[in-house]
Amino acid sequence: MTETKLTARNVDVFYGQKKAINDVSIDIDNGLVTAFIGPSGCGKSTFLRTLNRMNDTIAGARVDGQILLDGEDIYAASMDAVALRARVGMVFQKPNPFPKSIYENIAYGPRIHGLAASKADMDRIVESALTKAGLWEEVKDRLTDAGTALSGGQQQRLCIARAIAVSPEVILMDEPCSALDPIATARIEELIDELKESFAIVIVTHSMQQAARVSQRTAFFHLGSLVEYGETDQIFTNPRETRTKDYITGRYG
Amino acid sequence: MSKSDWNSPEAVKRLAKRHAAERRFKAIGLGAIVLSLAFLALLLFIMLRNGLGGLDWTFLSGSDSTDASVAGVWGAAKGSLLTMLVTLLISFPMGVLAAIYLEEFAPRKRWIEWVEVSINNLAAVPSIIFGLLGLAVFINTLNMPRSSPLVGGLTLALMTMPVIVISGRNAIKAVPPSIREAAYGIGASKVQTTFHHVLPLALPGILTGTIIGMARALGETAPLLMIGMRAFIATPPDSLTAPSSVLPMQIFLWSDEIDKAFVQNTSAAIIVLLVFLLAMNGIAIYLRNKFEVRW
Amino acid sequence: MILTGVLLAVLGLGLVGWFAARARARLLYKGRGSMHSMPTYHGWHMALWILVPALLAWGVWQAIMPGLVNGAVFADPAAATLPTDPMTLGAVMSEAYNLAADPSAAAFNPEAQAMVEPIRAAQTRFGLIGAALVLVVAIAGGGYGFTRIRPDFRARTQVERAVLAVLLIASLMAILTTFGIVASLLFEAGLFFKDVSPIAFLTGTHWSPASTSGTDISDNFGAVPLFWGTIYIGAIIAMIVAIPLGLMSAIYLTQYAAPAARKWLKPMLEILAGIPTVVYGYFAALTVAPLIRDFAAGIGMENPSTESALAAGLVMGVMIIPFVSSMADDALAAVPRAMSDGSLALGSTRSETIKKVLLPAALPGIVAGVMLAISRAIGETMIVVMAAGAAARLSANPFDTMTTVTYQIVQMLTGDQEFNSPKTLSAFALGLVLFVVTLILNIVALRVVKRFREAYE
Repeated sequence: MTETKLTARNVDVFYGQKKAINDVSIDIDNGLVTAFIGPSGCGKSTFLRTLNRMNDTIAGARVDGQILLDGEDIYAASMDAVALRARVGMVFQKPNPFPKSIYENIAYGPRIHGLAASKADMDRIVESALTKAGLWEEVKDRLTDAGTALSGGQQQRLCIARAIAVSPEVILMDEPCSALDPIATARIEELIDELKESFAIVIVTHSMQQAARVSQRTAFFHLGSLVEYGETDQIFTNPRETRTKDYITGRYG
Repeated sequence: MSKSDWNSPEAVKRLAKRHAAERRFKAIGLGAIVLSLAFLALLLFIMLRNGLGGLDWTFLSGSDSTDASVAGVWGAAKGSLLTMLVTLLISFPMGVLAAIYLEEFAPRKRWIEWVEVSINNLAAVPSIIFGLLGLAVFINTLNMPRSSPLVGGLTLALMTMPVIVISGRNAIKAVPPSIREAAYGIGASKVQTTFHHVLPLALPGILTGTIIGMARALGETAPLLMIGMRAFIATPPDSLTAPSSVLPMQIFLWSDEIDKAFVQNTSAAIIVLLVFLLAMNGIAIYLRNKFEVRW
Repeated sequence: MILTGVLLAVLGLGLVGWFAARARARLLYKGRGSMHSMPTYHGWHMALWILVPALLAWGVWQAIMPGLVNGAVFADPAAATLPTDPMTLGAVMSEAYNLAADPSAAAFNPEAQAMVEPIRAAQTRFGLIGAALVLVVAIAGGGYGFTRIRPDFRARTQVERAVLAVLLIASLMAILTTFGIVASLLFEAGLFFKDVSPIAFLTGTHWSPASTSGTDISDNFGAVPLFWGTIYIGAIIAMIVAIPLGLMSAIYLTQYAAPAARKWLKPMLEILAGIPTVVYGYFAALTVAPLIRDFAAGIGMENPSTESALAAGLVMGVMIIPFVSSMADDALAAVPRAMSDGSLALGSTRSETIKKVLLPAALPGIVAGVMLAISRAIGETMIVVMAAGAAARLSANPFDTMTTVTYQIVQMLTGDQEFNSPKTLSAFALGLVLFVVTLILNIVALRVVKRFREAYE
């Protein structure tokens, strides 16, 4: 039995005069992975960034419509974007560790949100986040090394650990494997599968295979609109819309 | 033109001529650099030849005097130190904060454009104009003490601040957006992101720019002439409001002396000033090489 | 004295408030999500409420206290014996204030000595009142801040708003400086133009501000010879030196030099830009000028002077070389590689490519660089002060002594003159002209550079 975590209703996104997202409505459920797929420029990343108000950081971006997190409007004046992003974490396309130690990379979030009462507490948070991200065994002896010294795949898992460390409810992933090699990608995909037990996960991917492998729900975006949304199996085997079908069979990309 | 034409005597000659022109052009380029550097070498050589003999303890620890043999630079050096202290304390925080605002927070509005235009222009305004400003505002309007490190430092701070703002903005701009996104992504506010992540990463670049700006201020004479730092000061200044000289001003004053013995003093003071400037630029280059991260 | 103490007390209070508020906020913390802001931000919020109002009060009191003290002192019986003549009164009072501040000084005027006690008493009284006032404001502010510590209070947002205000004020300094320059130049030049007609100033050819002869004072303030000297030295002689040398250096460095050589040569060239102008001035006066004088004598000139436009212009040109070179460097680097590759692939030599393709393409950038270089050269002061001379004359002979705008500004403002004479004020009029001209050059050059960059992006 799943419950709805995030609800979007009639969402439009504008960059200046340009409309980037057109009337998207979608429900994202807890405990499973939702994949956003579509050709590049279709707005899937843009829409993802509205879910934790990362679009606020872009000048001229404007969001219309309603997005609810547990029934609470995230664009309401009473909602603090900063608190929201602690609840809805994000992992980016290119690994972007802070140029600080591995430990500090993880500890930064808990520190600004006041999640650790003591040093021991913080150590525990760091260890648990790194463990959940499957990185602990690899880095436990060099926590003071720079995060930027890790390999690309490790860096991305560090970024996932960093997001986990503030105990978010949702994790948004914007093409998290696009800068990684196949082995590192497989590692991240396994991780995503494990993490869905604890978090609602939304992943944007340009790879249909990846969407089929990791997700339970898939949403297909095209030209700023949500074309089709459903169970991943159904989308890939029996799409209702011809546009979806054309895309997954490789008519256009 | 048929293929064999390239081997005809005319073609060979023509080609040789073009290659000769090429060599000439390259030689002129090298010559331009050599000539410029030769001028630099000549300048340094003459200063060293005239001044090295005068660099002794009496000179380094003394103050200005009418007698060339006992005159020294310590008084002026101390004045420079105090002046630079004021300049640094005002221009560094102001410059860095302004750079942060303009780069990270400023709304894209008309008045912000005015701020940017005025900063870019201030960086190119002749220094003597800042002296006129200092004279009109600090001395004639606010009645601050003439010839003091306080007024000198304030005047130079106004001149240095645009330099720090511009280098600060470039350093902040060089911090990749992915760092900011990473911080936003875990719920850091904009102010937290800026002060915890962006500023520390930009700091080496900002410091480099600051040192270069300070070096320029340290060598500056014209604006200080305007605010009356042209006095004969025989004792080192003991406060920010005491009458004081600065190193370049001391050089200027001594260069005007008729007594030939002051030639040595002037050149020796120039050596002292250049050593300071070289050290500062050296530190700036070191900082840049050591801490500059290429993204 | 008391007020300095109270300043420290306020800072101390701020620190105490910071700790107290943070401790209080920590007690309220009941785990994740229970508070909007971290306790530290409550600390900062409290400290700001203590410091900002108290410091404002302190500033206001500091400004009004001298008036209050003065009033009290004149009300004192001892003031009855003071002289009535405003001039002597002022002198006595200022001496009395000095005595009150520095007990070791000896009194020159007995009347001043008599006033010391009343002054001290008044200063102590009003100092104490001010101190009490500031402390009350600090405590009141702190009290208000303390009551606002609640789990849902957005302390972080408030503190960040204060941080933004500080940032904004810092960036407004630049506008304030520009405004200060324009206002002070306009104001003082305005006083000057009350006595001297602007037209005579801008078009007259006779400059002798010191002379008091002549029927109309405007006749002595014709600045054209200064403008000519400035242009001749800064925009002609200096550029004849700096443009070819700077441009060819840039070409060699970017097109021919091996990377290793470039790594060394470029910083060495930049040392030229880092040498203080007073050093150049001294070098010009000590070494270059005598050489030029001897040369002039050698080619048959009579009584050549030591100071000459050529000496100043030459040295100034050398100073500008690295500037021109780095601007040209940027301009050449902005030309897409494909352009020169295209030319090289046709079989042209490198120098032909540079002359026919690179330089024409980079020309706008180079021209802008030269404009900036001119703006810097005409604003340069020390070299001309030390090597160009004082004679205002319209001459095309580079061996003549000539004077410039900056030289005259220095000349008018150093030495002991009364401040409001036309002679002194003329410096501000000259400064205004200099400011406007350099401003125009800079703005136009920056526009050209910007458009040039955009063309290749």
